[in-house]
Parts: sequence; structure tokens; C-alpha cells
Amino acid sequence: MIQHHPDIATLMAFSAGTLDRPYATVVATHLAMSDGGRETLRHMETIGGALLTAEPAAELAAGALDRLLGTVGEDQISVTPREERSANELPLPLQPFLPKGLEGVRWKWTGPGVATADLAWGDDGKSRLMLLRVAGGRRVPEHGHGGHELTLILQGAYRDRFGVFAKGDIADHDEDVEHQPIAEPGEDCICLVAVDAKLTFRGRLMRALQPMFGI
Amino acid sequence: MYAVVMTNSDMGAPPPPTELPDPAGLVQRIATQQDRAALAALFNLFGPRVKSMMLKLGAGEALAEDLVQETFLTVWRKAALYSSQRGAASTWIFTIARNLRIDQLRRQSNRPYEDLEKVTLESDAPLGSMLVEQNQVVARVTAALETLSAEQRDVIRLSFIHDMPHAQIAETTGIPLGTVKSRLRLAYERLRPLLEDLQ
Repeated sequence: MIQHHPDIATLMAFSAGTLDRPYATVVATHLAMSDGGRETLRHMETIGGALLTAEPAAELAAGALDRLLGTVGEDQISVTPREERSANELPLPLQPFLPKGLEGVRWKWTGPGVATADLAWGDDGKSRLMLLRVAGGRRVPEHGHGGHELTLILQGAYRDRFGVFAKGDIADHDEDVEHQPIAEPGEDCICLVAVDAKLTFRGRLMRALQPMFGI
Repeated sequence: MYAVVMTNSDMGAPPPPTELPDPAGLVQRIATQQDRAALAALFNLFGPRVKSMMLKLGAGEALAEDLVQETFLTVWRKAALYSSQRGAASTWIFTIARNLRIDQLRRQSNRPYEDLEKVTLESDAPLGSMLVEQNQVVARVTAALETLSAEQRDVIRLSFIHDMPHAQIAETTGIPLGTVKSRLRLAYERLRPLLEDLQ
């Protein structure tokens, strides 16, 4: 049962289509895991439909309708294309980034009990999509955020001052939020994270370590 | 301050057109009968509005026309997939146009949206309410948009119609980012009772 949902403003941005792909991927992956979230998304898209209905009518080019009717053919799609399901149990929106599932991830050690992996998305813009793995009982260094951070739990769980975040939960934090997640005992906690700036770790030691952590 | 970004056509949206043919019924006819007249009616109804939306994103005249064509080609192709019980036709057309603009205007992949659509089609039960009710919900939400404060309406339009990321809305209007987000949340809270009628 999902307890932590995205900020309404984040869902609105997703519905409007204005998020960079790392954020859109995290939101879509979360929604693939959340029936209630998809229901809320339907609300947002209805707002989009209402705004479209309220748009003034722009004049279409002469012949636009003929052009359309001249192009449509027999190529209607009548069945949902069901794709060959691999052993890959990850939600569909995440699969393009991890064709071999979580087993195939090439982790980079970034601290005791902590590893990360960058997921390339074909743009060297300022936002990043990455995986974070924290061993059970381990602490993620205390950090504030240099920007909007979205964290989706794929496996395991962690706890911070906002509560326990387990599979399917999403932590949607603005830049002024500081928190110190600790992975719950048991299996590794694996998260999918979108960030739009370097995280800022607190404390001198952590600042010194940050270049090494690379996150 | 909004004059910087808001064109005149934004200031007072016209009332929703009256005496509309039933858009969901048109989609059904396309799906079940490959009815070109129904496609033409839907195109006449929403084509000009989709074009208006595309022009506001900075698409030129020719590109906006192309994107309108693409939108309705997709409507034709996917009409049967769109189960009419999944929402009003205007909502569906909005999502098609949005996916196209992500792909062609923002030049980002719309794959997360395509994948999520597949998940929805495979796992979600169709909505319980009738088509007519869903159209009424959209009509009521359209009317309710006019009752939002100008501040709330502006941020919603800049986001959904002008395709501006929240940070860009903040930058363009001079409003702090946190305020942009809180106005969006407040607008949603106002509309939510109407939207919950969808279920």
C-alpha cells in the first residue's frame, strides 16, 4: 500500500508535460505502481482537457481537413500491443533504462554501504537520473537539496523524519528540505532518483567527501 | 507583469462552445465504423483549439498545422484503444497533443507517457460513470476554471497550455517558485470536488 505520493504540483507538471525526462521517468514509474496515483493523474488530464476546450479557435489552413482525410488509412490499432515480457519485473517506464533489470546494474561504490549508478538519458542537461543503493541499517549522509529531488523506492525501505518509505512510495522534496534517511534493516534499499543539481551534503567532512561520492 | 507572456487571447477565454456534437460519441463512431464524417466533426471541433495550443508554444504556422494533423491521425489510429469509458474525448485529445509536443517541440522522449498509457490500458478498470457524465464533468471543470482567481488561472494556463516548466513560470512572471507551486495546488483543491465526480 503506497503511503507517500508526489506533490500535487509535480503531478500537474507531469500531466502538462513540462518535466525533464529523468523526472517524468520517476513519476511514470511511480504511477505504474500506484492505482490511486493514476486516478489522480486522470484528474490532472481532465484539467488539461478542460483547458483545451476553453482554448480560442485558431484558424486552420485551407484544405486542412481534406489533407487529414486524404492521409488516414486502414492502419487503426484495435488491440493493446502486448509486449514480450522478459524476466524483467521492473515497471514498464523504467525498463528502457535497465534492460537487464536490477541484476544488471553496474554499481559505483560511493561510501560505506552506499552505491550509485547513473542512468544515461541522452542529454547532458542539468538533471540526472540515477539509482541509489543503501545497505540495510546504513545511513545516507545527511543532505539538503540543491534543487527538486524525486526519490522512488524500488526495493527495501528507508526511514527519515517523514516516516517509512517502502516500495512504490515517492519522496518529493524541494530544495529547502533536509533529511537523513536510514535504510530499514533487511534487504538493500534501492531507489530511483531524479535530481536537478548536485545534492549538498552537510558538515565539513561530508563536503570534503562530496566530490568522491559524486552525488 | 503578465503582459510579458500573456497574449490577448489568454485574457478572457471564450465560453465553451454550446451545442457541441457529443465528442465521445464521435470517437466511438471512428472506432467501430471507421467513420470519416465523425473524424471530420471531431477535427472541426478540436483542431482549431489544438492549433491554438501549439501556436502558444512557439510553434510556427506550418509546424502547428503539422502537429494538428499528427494529433488527429493518432486519434484515428487509436480510437478503438481509447475505451470511451476512460474519460472525456477532450481529455484524451489533450494527452495526444501533449505527447506530440513533448516529442516535437521539447525534443524529449515521450516514452514515459507511452509506457504509462500501456500500463493503464492493461490494468485499470474502466471508469464507472457514463460518457455523458464525463463530458459534463469536463464542461463543469471548464466553467470552474473561470471561477479561479486570476493568479491561479494564469499559472495553470502557463503550465498546461504554454508548456512552461514551473521554474520558467517563476522566472517569467517574477513570482517565487514556491508560490507558483502553491497556486497550482490551491487551484487543484478548488477543482477537485468536480473531478472526483469522474469516479
